[in-house]
Amino acid sequence: MSARVEVEEHMGFWRGYVFSTDHKTIAKQYLAIGLFWAIVGGLLAYLMRWQLAYPDTEVPGWGFIGADFYTMLVTMHGTIMVFFVAMPILLGAFGNFLIPLMVGARDMAFPRLNMLSVWTFALSSLVLLISFFVPGGAAAAGWTGYPPLSAKPIYTGVDWGLNLWILALALEFASFLMGGVNFLTTTVNLRAPGLSMLRLPLLVWMQITAAVLFMLSVGPLIAGAVMLLMDRVVGTSFYLPEGGGDPLLWQHLFWFFGHPEVYVILLPGLGIMLEILPVFSRKPIFGYRPIIYSTIAAGILSFVVWAHHQFISGLDPRLAMPFSITTIFISVPFALMVFAMIATLWRGSISFPTPMLFALGTLAVFLVGGLTGVFNGSAPVDIYIHDTYFVVAHFHYTLFSVTFFAAFAGIYFWFPKMFGRMMNETLGKLHFWLTFLFFNAVFVAMFLLGLGGMMRRIANPMQYDFLQPLQPMNVFATIASILLLLGQIPFVINFFWSLVAGEVAERNPWQANTLEWSAPSPPPHGNFEIVPVVYRGPYEYSHPSVPEDWLPQDRPAVPTAGV
Amino acid sequence: MAEAHVMAVGVETRSVTGIPTGKLGVWWFLASEIVLFGGLIGVYIMSRLGGAGWSEMAAHLSVPIGTLNTFVLLTSSLTMVLAFAAAEKGNPKGVRTWLLLTVLLGLAFLIIKGFEWSSEIGAGFTPTAGAFWSFYYTMTGLHALHVLGGVVVNFILFLAALLGLLRGSEHRVELAGLYWHFVDIVWIFLFPLLYLSW
Amino acid sequence: MARERVHPNYVAVWLWLVGLLIASVVISYLPISRGVAVFLIFVAAFVKAVLVALNYMHLRFERPLIYAMAVIPLAIFFVLWIVLYPDIALR
Repeated sequence: MSARVEVEEHMGFWRGYVFSTDHKTIAKQYLAIGLFWAIVGGLLAYLMRWQLAYPDTEVPGWGFIGADFYTMLVTMHGTIMVFFVAMPILLGAFGNFLIPLMVGARDMAFPRLNMLSVWTFALSSLVLLISFFVPGGAAAAGWTGYPPLSAKPIYTGVDWGLNLWILALALEFASFLMGGVNFLTTTVNLRAPGLSMLRLPLLVWMQITAAVLFMLSVGPLIAGAVMLLMDRVVGTSFYLPEGGGDPLLWQHLFWFFGHPEVYVILLPGLGIMLEILPVFSRKPIFGYRPIIYSTIAAGILSFVVWAHHQFISGLDPRLAMPFSITTIFISVPFALMVFAMIATLWRGSISFPTPMLFALGTLAVFLVGGLTGVFNGSAPVDIYIHDTYFVVAHFHYTLFSVTFFAAFAGIYFWFPKMFGRMMNETLGKLHFWLTFLFFNAVFVAMFLLGLGGMMRRIANPMQYDFLQPLQPMNVFATIASILLLLGQIPFVINFFWSLVAGEVAERNPWQANTLEWSAPSPPPHGNFEIVPVVYRGPYEYSHPSVPEDWLPQDRPAVPTAGV
Repeated sequence: MAEAHVMAVGVETRSVTGIPTGKLGVWWFLASEIVLFGGLIGVYIMSRLGGAGWSEMAAHLSVPIGTLNTFVLLTSSLTMVLAFAAAEKGNPKGVRTWLLLTVLLGLAFLIIKGFEWSSEIGAGFTPTAGAFWSFYYTMTGLHALHVLGGVVVNFILFLAALLGLLRGSEHRVELAGLYWHFVDIVWIFLFPLLYLSW
Repeated sequence: MARERVHPNYVAVWLWLVGLLIASVVISYLPISRGVAVFLIFVAAFVKAVLVALNYMHLRFERPLIYAMAVIPLAIFFVLWIVLYPDIALR
């Protein structure tokens, strides 16, 4: 024991909190940066929503928003939420914190590489932040960066902002490639004795599948981004028709990565749900292996669906049907997972603390998102709804469900383990209901706006006669979005208050089975006093052979009953 | 106490699969690099199939220089793997010699490439001179960056070997070698693609 | 699988690599049809790559997991190539 204390005391502030190689500290760094960007992204959304509801009026607290600035808002809101909120929170924070603990390791396989990855991510964040302040402002070609708009500065008026955007993304990709190497090697090689791959918590399966998807899909986009930078800075014409290039090439390269990327974000969110649902149903996961096989199937399929983002782009029409078919197919494994989650809940002893509320909220919201994906995936339907607010609503239902509902579920659930204190339940429940209510208000309105024909990315809907009757819905969505943002205040208060004054947490406040709950709250450097030995799978709740309704993975086999 | 030592160091040495963790890590990284270069090469091939007038542009490439560079890189792969063999046999002098040769050959590749580029640019074949040239500089440029990275890594290993720091970590020569051979394989395809397929 | 590493004859492999390189260059100058020449040259390149991978990267002796990590990415970018063909090659 004394040896460990000596190590910690010698660390000091810089080695202990800033230049740390401990995966738990790195996870918190990712979480902090991600939550910072979530606030920025939310504020950008506020500006957008005000402009849409009350076009060309002064936004309270900001001023007038012109069309060019609006395009920048749309671009940066998307970029920030996908790459600087979802990725760092779901993968950087939860993946880093939980994987070593859940596999019974003392840290990641390459701790120094891990530190390099979070510092690379911090650098990419800084580059993106700077891009707001350079002449011409931040990138304004959509988060998808389609050329020619993105390839020639004269089209957007943004020059350095877009170059920095490309650089920030390149650094972000490098950071997550490094992280992915760590996640995969740690899971494959550093598992505790007795922990076979089929006894792993599903969250770990989800994280490593996400890592594989990321690592195998990002390459062509890196190549494409280099080419975009060449077009912008050197004057080549990879994507410019007047020079013999093809804008469609970028679309293919972007979406070849872009589609697996949304599953890279989705899977860890599903993993969080799959950990929380059994704990608060006191029941094993229904269909552990089918869920794993579905995840792998979805992962493989995710590489052959990408052109469903391009149905009206001028794509070769012969590609429309194959990609529609694969897209419809990919809903099957996810449907299986949703059914498995419902079956897990069925006839369980369900309780509703805040993590469970958010997990159930994720399920409900994701279900709507997934179902509406089927409409988008069918080419004939997509021809009408592409580039309308129907798509915006669809992807907010899917992405918001995991980026926020599941992330909040994870934060409330693992806060005791991360920080050694419990979060406040009342504030948590308030946070949940406000978020759930106002999120649905905003985005149901957007489904209706989309079906009514409102296009994406326009700064002033009132300019179009056929959209004017829909304007009350825009106003409704804006008011709801402001209330949604205000509804996050209980969370901010709760988070910081609980850090210093929350009730001190015991080792296993939720009476859960996975290995992280066998470590102290919070775990020290090295995680476990003694490396755990695993005797069973992670979801043995309400097992008949023991009086308690939980049975940790590392408790030795009970001698009496035939376990 | 072994436990306290492991906690203080914070580096795991377990290996459930029996594959050394470092090797596993490098291969995961190479997998992502395969898709990167494969994607870029695929884009080139598809564009080339649709692009007219590329053979006229490509005719200005120097096949002899390209061949020489390919020979240099192939030989550097040999010296790299001989460094690894020396490391396995516990021959530190061999490790130093072969690593140094690998570094020098890598540098030679880059210098020849630089000379090649400057003469091409001097003749007016800049990256904007045509679609073929855009691809040529992008692909060889990205490859050259990877070669440079490999040279740096190999040089660091050479220094470590020189200072006797490599004892106990000889497997790092193998890991660096995996990366270096990969870079060589990319060029094995780039050379015929850019220089010979006309 | 124990780690009995039999070292392949690295110099012999190198001689094959150089030989294939010379053959490729020679083929490119022969007065044969372009398509046949390119095909042969790429066969040679493929053989060279496989020689390096199996012998210098020791894939010959590695476990299936490592093989998978080398082969699966190839399958993935072939998917990209195939889909790019109608849009990019057939413009």
